[in-house]
Amino acid sequence: MFRTTLFALTASLLFFASQATAQEKFSSITGPLDVKPVQASEPIQVPFITWGGDAATFYANGGLDTKPESIYGKSGLKLKLTPGDDFVQQVKDYMGGKSPFLRGTMRMLGQASEVIGTDPRTKPVVVLQLSWSAGDHIVSRENLKTLNDLKRDGKKAKIACQQGGPHVGLLYDALAAAQLTNQDVEIVFVDDLTGPNGAAEKFRTDPTIDACCVITPDMIGLTGGVDSAGTGAEGTVKGAHVLVSTQNMSRSIADVYAVRHDWYEANRDKVEKFVAGYLQGAVQVKKLRDDFEKTQRMSPEYRNLLAQCQTIFGEEVLPTLEVDAHGLLLDCNFVSLPGQIAFFEQTGNLSGFNSKLSAALDLATQWGYASSRKGFDPSGFDYHKIAELAKIEYSEPPRIVQGEGVMEFPDDDFDNDTIVSFTISFEPNQTDFSVDRYGMEFDRALQSASTFGGAAVVIRGHSDPTKTLVQLLKAGMEKGIIRRTGQQGAYKYYLNTQNGSNELDLGQTEAMVKLIKSGAFEGSADSPLQTMQAALNLSHARAEQVKQAIADYAEKKGVNVNLSQLQPVGAGISDPVVSKPASMAEAKQNMRVEFRIVKVNPETLSESDFDF
Amino acid sequence: MNRLLIAAFLVAGGLSQISSTLGADNLNVVVILDNSGSMNEGMHSGGTRIDAAKSALLRVLDQTPAGAKVGVFLLNAGPTGNWLIPLAPVDKSEIKDAVSNLRADGGTPLGASMKSAADALLQLRESQRYGDYKLLIVSDGEASDANLVERFLPEIQARGLLIDVIGVNMAREHSLATRTSTYRNAGDPKSLEQAISAVVLGESSASNANDAGESDFELLASVPSELAAASLAALTGMANDPVGESGRAGADNLPPIYPNSGTQVANQPNFPGNAAPAPPQHGGGDNGGGGLTFGRMVIVIAIIIVVLRAFSFIAKQR
Repeated sequence: MFRTTLFALTASLLFFASQATAQEKFSSITGPLDVKPVQASEPIQVPFITWGGDAATFYANGGLDTKPESIYGKSGLKLKLTPGDDFVQQVKDYMGGKSPFLRGTMRMLGQASEVIGTDPRTKPVVVLQLSWSAGDHIVSRENLKTLNDLKRDGKKAKIACQQGGPHVGLLYDALAAAQLTNQDVEIVFVDDLTGPNGAAEKFRTDPTIDACCVITPDMIGLTGGVDSAGTGAEGTVKGAHVLVSTQNMSRSIADVYAVRHDWYEANRDKVEKFVAGYLQGAVQVKKLRDDFEKTQRMSPEYRNLLAQCQTIFGEEVLPTLEVDAHGLLLDCNFVSLPGQIAFFEQTGNLSGFNSKLSAALDLATQWGYASSRKGFDPSGFDYHKIAELAKIEYSEPPRIVQGEGVMEFPDDDFDNDTIVSFTISFEPNQTDFSVDRYGMEFDRALQSASTFGGAAVVIRGHSDPTKTLVQLLKAGMEKGIIRRTGQQGAYKYYLNTQNGSNELDLGQTEAMVKLIKSGAFEGSADSPLQTMQAALNLSHARAEQVKQAIADYAEKKGVNVNLSQLQPVGAGISDPVVSKPASMAEAKQNMRVEFRIVKVNPETLSESDFDF
Repeated sequence: MNRLLIAAFLVAGGLSQISSTLGADNLNVVVILDNSGSMNEGMHSGGTRIDAAKSALLRVLDQTPAGAKVGVFLLNAGPTGNWLIPLAPVDKSEIKDAVSNLRADGGTPLGASMKSAADALLQLRESQRYGDYKLLIVSDGEASDANLVERFLPEIQARGLLIDVIGVNMAREHSLATRTSTYRNAGDPKSLEQAISAVVLGESSASNANDAGESDFELLASVPSELAAASLAALTGMANDPVGESGRAGADNLPPIYPNSGTQVANQPNFPGNAAPAPPQHGGGDNGGGGLTFGRMVIVIAIIIVVLRAFSFIAKQR
């Protein structure tokens, strides 16, 4: 949600001229920076940003300065929490030794990677993942239905996005899901995350902008709600709707803390206490938040915490406790201790540290923030020890979550709920979906399932309708409804009705449909409805085979997967690419399996103890 | 690739896979079992018809793969109602008791039973969507509610349910013979068992679709694409609403086309060893001809009454 009104207020002025055509490197924005040792004096300066995940830091610290009775106070830490929404300033303080900590998203660290990662002393060690975002969105105009539409018929969509903030990563992931890059769209960079110089206002005032990356309050302002479309009334934009949200693309924005390598080596115990204290605080904060959400009765402890957030972030950012401050926390998926293990230790996690690091460096180098890849290190903690320090029971997250698909059958909203889709073809007679041939698509499906943790991956089989149409003609002839004349290659058909016999042309469509619906073609040996049902069954069986092939592939590769996200569906002949194929080539276009990432209520996904 | 090969590919690539890819859990069958009084009569080979039907059912249900859903619906309610075996995954331990308690007594209300059985299948299809859905009628005579059969049959077929009929020891063809997917006559317990087995455990008719050897694309060439698309939409819009309760199909809504059997052609089922049904019999016969609807019967009776009254009036005058 309020990822910050201040993000890059200073930075942005330096950071990127609005609508810059060429990307300025991060090192040009900061200018040359000397690396200085971290100040030895206490308190230790720790930056925070405007995000729900940081409420747990305040909770653990008892405020901006460590209170003796707080979690951090009891563990012997002495911290001073300082505003870090100006990320460029954060980097300067980090390099200059004012603070050993960096607070941002993995992509933000990636954008600064060349600056902070070149000198071994300042090479970041990522020590904590606070959360996944569930409060960032891309809102588009009516004509864009899915992420695939961001580039349609060669036309590039124009997308407003804050430069240098968390939405750059959101946009990168959204484009990647449709196999697009920043070259396939036109990105219009704006200075601020929200407010008059934010992307939402740009979208509102400039009709040439097709989409914008926004936080929750702006999304509601433009559309009326995550599942609504703007009407044009009350400040909404007519037809504006959510194209993709981190509620579904739930493993896109990872909020993290990193520390300088030299300081980490010298103060490992302090870093462990910092991480353990945060995790302990987060458990409490999540419980307070969820209790209020469930009962709508606010405990004094939660009220104090929200009031503290309001004081720290400012009343202009959080005008009310019940809606704005609570909403800020709702937009944040705390990942807790099992989340640390999943993120840092599970090699098969396609949204884990290695995967996110690689994507962050891809973004940095491809979008021009850096010219070389300078990586970060993971903490290498012993999480049994961290669990003990945090007084949390140690538990490892599952690698494979079992479960049936989440949807009964897609209803009419299926198209409306599709975020992005891609298709694989198959040959007639094909029963196996081998890794050799479909490995890339399987990788993409697994990556989609991981990034879109709050969505279903619908595997939708399609059949070719040729056989059914032939059965329809044969049944018609068998029952005397249709008459055929002419020779092979030049047949003509006539529809017999009480009004006489008419050549089967467009004028007969209505009569033909009526006859089909009345069952007139049924009851003979050639049953079009039976053939259609058989095609439906076959398409479902194919989708099941593909799901099984992906599950086997994931197992073999050691990749994490939540099987309850994979939903095989048969579409049969209901949605052909070519309704009446004239050749095998056209018939083959219909023989396909489509993958659709579809919005679902995340609660319908298989119960897992862990929220990531 | 030559056209014949292409056509063969299409068929092979599509339909021949069905039997291999569809598991038993895709099979859903309701057997409508005639337990009317006439089923107590003997068969040529000894034993009563109902006993033959019972043992055939037991054997077939015993062979039914796990996961298949089979129900048995009786024309005349027994102690547990009309559902001798509710439509559900086959529970072999319960079947034996249920079937052994079966008695034959009562009439032949086939039309009403067809609706009940079809509605149960449609409800199941609404929740499952995939699979094969079949109605199997095992009977030795004509329906006592022929008007309902007339009314419901096209509606059931318009919903894409497959109807098979097995005549037990019937002298003549059943009136449904020419208007359902298959008709077989079983004159002895063994052939009855074979017939039930073929329907319950056999492949769907679609998987038996044999290609005429002509190119499917050529066959379709002159059909306009938009008409094809509209036809596909009509086919795929198959409803699961209860029979006789919607405006989708049925007698009231039939388009202006020859209303019934006069123009219909007998099936040529792909079941060697089963006699192809004879053309429909009009009038006469033990079975009374299914074409005589309730409405027509009322008119005929009214005419007879008028004629008789006229005769008695004339007689009195004399």
